[in-house]
Amino acid sequence: MCYNMENKHMFAILAREQYLIIDRMVRNMVLQERLSLEEKLRILSDAAKYDVACTSSGVERAGNGKDLGNAAACGICHSFAADGRCISLLKILYTNECVFDCKYCLNRSSNDIERATFTPEEICTLTMEFYRRNYIEGLFLSSGVLRSPNETMEKIVQTLQLLRVKYRFNGYIHCKAIPGASEDLIEAAGWFADRMSINMELPTAEGLKALAPHKTRRTILTPMRKIQLGIEESRAALGMMGGNEGAYRVTQKRLYESTGGRLGTSKEQRGTISEGTLKLLEEGGIPGKPGNEKRSEGTGAHSQRNTRSRTEQTDILREGESAAEEVLLERAGNRMLRPDKLGAARGFAAAGQSTQMIIGATGESDYQILSVAEALYQKFDLKRVFYSAFIRVNDDSALPEIPGGPPLLREHRLYQADWLLRYYGFEAEELLTEQKPNFNVFLDPKCDWALRNLEQFPVEVNRADYFTLLRVPGIGTRSAGRIVRARQNGTLRFEDLKKARSGAETGYLFYYLCRKDDVSCEDRGELHYESTAGAERPAEAVQGRFHDLSAVVFVRRCSIWTV
Amino acid sequence: MRVYLCEDSVDGIFTGVYDAWASRLGHDNVKLLAQSGEVYEPELFCEYQRVETDPEKAGKVLKTIRNRISEYAAQMLIRACCSADEEKADDIYRFIVLGLNMGRRTSDQLSDPHVMSIFEKDRQVGNEAHHYLGFLRFSRVKEGVLFAEFEPKGDITAIVAPHFADRLPDENFIICDRRRRKAAVHPAGDQWFLTEVSEELLQKMEESSDRGDEYRNLWKVFFTSIGIEERRNEKLQNNLLPKRFRSMMTEFQIYE
Ligand code: SF4
Repeated sequence: MCYNMENKHMFAILAREQYLIIDRMVRNMVLQERLSLEEKLRILSDAAKYDVACTSSGVERAGNGKDLGNAAACGICHSFAADGRCISLLKILYTNECVFDCKYCLNRSSNDIERATFTPEEICTLTMEFYRRNYIEGLFLSSGVLRSPNETMEKIVQTLQLLRVKYRFNGYIHCKAIPGASEDLIEAAGWFADRMSINMELPTAEGLKALAPHKTRRTILTPMRKIQLGIEESRAALGMMGGNEGAYRVTQKRLYESTGGRLGTSKEQRGTISEGTLKLLEEGGIPGKPGNEKRSEGTGAHSQRNTRSRTEQTDILREGESAAEEVLLERAGNRMLRPDKLGAARGFAAAGQSTQMIIGATGESDYQILSVAEALYQKFDLKRVFYSAFIRVNDDSALPEIPGGPPLLREHRLYQADWLLRYYGFEAEELLTEQKPNFNVFLDPKCDWALRNLEQFPVEVNRADYFTLLRVPGIGTRSAGRIVRARQNGTLRFEDLKKARSGAETGYLFYYLCRKDDVSCEDRGELHYESTAGAERPAEAVQGRFHDLSAVVFVRRCSIWTV
Repeated sequence: MRVYLCEDSVDGIFTGVYDAWASRLGHDNVKLLAQSGEVYEPELFCEYQRVETDPEKAGKVLKTIRNRISEYAAQMLIRACCSADEEKADDIYRFIVLGLNMGRRTSDQLSDPHVMSIFEKDRQVGNEAHHYLGFLRFSRVKEGVLFAEFEPKGDITAIVAPHFADRLPDENFIICDRRRRKAAVHPAGDQWFLTEVSEELLQKMEESSDRGDEYRNLWKVFFTSIGIEERRNEKLQNNLLPKRFRSMMTEFQIYE
C-alpha cells in the first residue's frame, strides 16, 4: 500500500491513541469477516459473563401447540458453570465493540481486545438450536455500545423482533436496555422481552462519574422508568398475564394491611415514582422512606404521578429508527392495540425488571448500597437487584486493588440483606445506619440485627404475628407460615417448633414458649446453652458486643431461651 | 403372610393393591412388593403370588383414590409409584387403607410412617424430574430427530415428557431411559407415547447423536467461556449439579 507524504504527515499529527483506535478498527473489520460463529460465541459470551442475572423465572407461559418454547414461573437451571453459577440463558453480547469507556469493563473503548459482533440471524439460530437441545431456557441479550446507544438498542430490538416474529420463539428473553437509548426503542424491546434490565452499575452518582464517565444517573433511570410504565400499562391491559408485582411491594402491602397502616407502605405510596424522587435519584441522592417523602420533594413537584408524561405519539416514528418501525407503527394508531398483535400472549416484560450494582469498586458502604436497592424496589417496583463483587479486569489506577480477590462474602451478605428487604419487611435503616454502615461479614444480617436488638426478644411464638416471627433468627418465611398455620390447631410445643422449622440447619433460637413475656433484659441473660468454645461469654452476647467468629459459634450453640 | 409381587409400574402396583384387597386375608396378612424380575430372596413363612397387571383393576383403584381420598393424593401416589424404592408398593397399599378411613386429610398425616414415606417419595421423584427438566440434553440425530437419553433413579420418563411435548410441539423427539429401556416418543405435531426400546435401536441412536451435531461443540464453547475464573467454585458446582447427572450432559462429555 502506498500513500503520499501528506497522508503520512496526517498520521503523525494524530495522537498516538487515536491512531491506535483507527488501526484497531481496521484490523477488526478484516478480522470480523473471518470470525467463525464459534469464535464470536466464545468472545461474546466471555464478554457477557460478568452480568449476574441468569434467572429465567417470573413468568408462566404454556406452549401454544406449534411454536418452539414455553416458560416456567419457577425458572429452570440448565447447568452450573465452574464458578457454581446457574446457567439458564444463552447470555451473550450483541457486540463487544464499545464507544464508552467504563473503567471496570473489559470491553471499554480504550482496551485493545478481540472484538466481535453477531448478526441478528446468528443470534436467532443459536437461540433456537440451543433451546431445541434443552441447553437453555432462552436468551439474555446485552451489548456494548456500537457507535451510539440508539443504534445499539435498535440492533437489539431488531434481533428480538426477528426471534419472536420470524422464528416464532416462545421461550424466555431477558433484554438489557442500553443507557441513553430512546424511550421508544426501550418500549419496543419491552413488548418482545419477558424481563428487562438496565444496570445501575454503581450505587452512587459520584461513583458513576468516576468509573463510567459516559453514563449518568439520568441515562440509566429514564429507561428504567420507561420500563416500569410499560409494565404497569401491560398489567392494566392484560391483568395477571401482564406480570405480578415484585416481592418487595407484595411484602409492604401485607405489612401495611396486617398492622393497620402502622408499617409498610400504602397503595398511594407504592405508586409510580414521583418526579421529585426521580430527580433526587438522578442527582445521586438516596430518597428516604415513603414517610420522608416530603424531604425529597422540596421542589414542590406533584407528589403523586397520576398523569404519566408520554412521548408525543406523532413523535414516535422518527426517521432512521426503522428497526422498531413495525412495532411502533401500530402504537401510533392505538396504544392498546399493539399488545394484541405482538405481546398478547406475553405482555410487556411480564417477568418484571431488574438491575445490577458492582460491589467494592468504589467506596460506598453497605448502608448506601442497601438504601439504593430499597429505593429502587420502592420506586421502580424492581423484581430483583443483583450485586456483583468487583473483579479487577483492567489495570487502571482508578480501580482499587483488592488483595483477597473479589469481595464474595460481602456480596453474599448483601444478597441476604436484600432478601430481608423483599420478603421480611425489614427496612435498610433498621439493618444499618450511618454510624454502623457495614455488615459484619461473619454474621448473617438478620442475626446481626437481632443481636443489636435483644430487647425485642424473646418472641412468644404462640402469639407473635407473622412479621414478628420472621424477625427471629432461624425462622424463615416457610417456617413462619407453618407456625402460623400450626398454632391454629392448639398451643405449640417445642417439638412442634422443631418440625415447623425448615431444613436441618441448626439455627439460633430467639423465641420462647412460656407465658412470661414481662421478663427484663437481665433475666434473658440466663441462657441455657451447651458449653462450647465461645460460650464463656454469654453476658457479652446479650449486650450485643460480639463481632467476631466466636460469637457465631456461641449463638449457634445456645439452645432455647427458656425464661 | 401372602406377598403380592407386582410389576414395577403404576398399573402393576395398583393392580396389586386391588388383588390384595380383594383377597380378604386382612391387611395384616398381606404385603406388596414391586419387583419386575425373578430376583428376590424369599422370606420364610411367606407365600408369594405374582400379580397379573390389569389396567382395568388399576383404573378402579385410581378412581377410588380420587373419589374417596383426593386428587392430590392420587397424584402423590402415582409419583410415589415411580420411585426406585422397592418398599413403595406396600406403603402405597397402607396409605390407601388409611385413606379410605380418613378421606381428604390423609396426606396431612405425616406422623403416620406410611404417609410420611409416600410424602418423601413423592418429593424425591418430583425433585428428580424437576432436575431433568433442565439437565436433559438432546442431540440432533441424522434423520432430523432430537434424541435424549438419561438414567434417572425413578421411573420419570412419563413425568418429564409432557413438559417437552409442550415446549417442543413441532419437533420429533425421543427421551430414552437407558436403564429401563423405555422411551417417550414424540412425533412432530402429534401426541407423545411410551414405548420399549431395543438394544439395537438405542445403539444406533447413540452413535449418530454423538457426531455430526455442530451445536454440541458450540454449547461446550459457551459453557466454558461463561464461567468466571476469579470466582471458580467447584464445590458449589458439585452441590448444585451432582456428578451423577453429568455423564449424559453434553457439556461434560469431553471426548467425541
Ligand atoms: S458501556 Fe461500559 S460497561 Fe457497557 S460494554 Fe461499554 S464499556 Fe463496558
